[in-house]
Amino acid sequence: MPKRIRLLYMEGVSPLRSQTVYHAVGYAMKEDTPNTIIMVSPNGPYVSIGYHQDMQKEVDLDYCTAHNLPVYRREVGGGAVYLDSGQLFTQWIFHKEDLPASLEERFKLYIDPLVATYQELGINANHRPINDVHVEGKKIGGTGAAQMGIAEILVGSLMYTFDKKTMSQVLKVPSEKMRDKIFESLEAYMTTMTEQLGSTPDRAMVKDLYMKKVSEALGMEVYEGEWTAEEEAMAKEIDARFTSDEWLYQKGQLRQQGVKIHQDVHLIETAFKSQGGLIRIIARLHEGRIDDISFSGDFTLLPVFALGALEQSLRGVSATPETLKSKIEEAYYRLNIQSPGVTPTDFTTAIMNAVAPPQPV
Amino acid sequence: MIYYACDIPEDLYYDIERDVWIRFDGDIATLGMTDVAQTRCGKFAAISFRNIGKKVEQGKALATVESAKWVGPFPAPFSCEIVATNEAGFAKDILLANKEPYTDGWMVKVRPTNLDEERDHLVTGDEAFEKYKARIQELKVNCLRCID
Repeated sequence: MPKRIRLLYMEGVSPLRSQTVYHAVGYAMKEDTPNTIIMVSPNGPYVSIGYHQDMQKEVDLDYCTAHNLPVYRREVGGGAVYLDSGQLFTQWIFHKEDLPASLEERFKLYIDPLVATYQELGINANHRPINDVHVEGKKIGGTGAAQMGIAEILVGSLMYTFDKKTMSQVLKVPSEKMRDKIFESLEAYMTTMTEQLGSTPDRAMVKDLYMKKVSEALGMEVYEGEWTAEEEAMAKEIDARFTSDEWLYQKGQLRQQGVKIHQDVHLIETAFKSQGGLIRIIARLHEGRIDDISFSGDFTLLPVFALGALEQSLRGVSATPETLKSKIEEAYYRLNIQSPGVTPTDFTTAIMNAVAPPQPV
Repeated sequence: MIYYACDIPEDLYYDIERDVWIRFDGDIATLGMTDVAQTRCGKFAAISFRNIGKKVEQGKALATVESAKWVGPFPAPFSCEIVATNEAGFAKDILLANKEPYTDGWMVKVRPTNLDEERDHLVTGDEAFEKYKARIQELKVNCLRCID
């Protein structure tokens, strides 16, 4: 008998359940469990953190508490993200033999129906390998993968809307300037169905369309099913674990440099102590080049307009020490920059410390 | 022995299905990810170990590994008790298993608790190499190592 895929459609569940449901179906999976796709969205906002993140270091808990935003740790990697009913999560819980062995091919299989759905809606989406979905250089959703029990899991979303302002508020960042840059970068490099189409498409129509695209991509029938009592019991067990302090406050060691906006865009903040004072840098890197950079600190740089000119001269420059130093030296010469105790090498080192931080010894 | 750039040292034992290598030393076994496993996983981003002293059933996680795109267990090839972990090594260099999976990149040392009943699937030497050749072909893996 040909394999069929069970669809569990769960719009408007609690924020906690929108995360625990795919863990539950994964951990409850047995040899005879059908491959399952869950389409689920939460009925309220929350913050989801990656498996190995340290919540207290990554999330602005004061902000979350003040705004009644729960935080849940998922068993999928990556960084903290603000989620709400504007996203429809598409979670695949499959037997490993029914997915490609290589992660690259697995992500392609998972992402193809998302891309096809967007395209049929008139959105020029494409797969940005390994695991992003982009629309003309802007991200419209990321994906992740994990193994839970015997199940292989792939997760991602169909993005109706995304609250970029709140996303920038929930992260713990070193400065408000960095927070502003995060918001600015999300505006520049993230998009949604609503932004692309000018209005929010009908959710039932999008669900049917996605089911059709999944069926075409996998060559299997997708049928709407129910979850089993065993899966529901497992969800309750995982609900309890996910809300325990022991789970939430475990010390994760995943420390990412800065904030990843999408596969090609990273925002970084760093400080470097030079003889002439502290140099603070916020930089946005786009495909290895400096897309945006700002300097601050307690050093002196003259003439007064030179700081802005120096920042401007570095935009579009490849983030390698040789290129940066050469560009900075050229700006020093052209603008006759005076900076007591601060050299072009200091600026270069400061930027490179953020781009490629020194390894611990 | 090397096949498609994947190193399969002949002196080790392997749980091929779980992609784990085993070096027995008295009543202790050192375990790690094979070259195939570290290649498929990709560059480690983080790792968390179960506590020393914990008893783990065959197939259950001795550690959880996070790479850039995937999170999953490092599974026990047989039931065992954890007696040491390489947490300190990975804290210094998270890419240890991506660089030297069979030496510096070891994951845990364990004391097997039911080895007589749970060792039939372990293979070594030529048998291991032949079985890995088939697995490498099936998975279409070409092994890659990180370098300093």
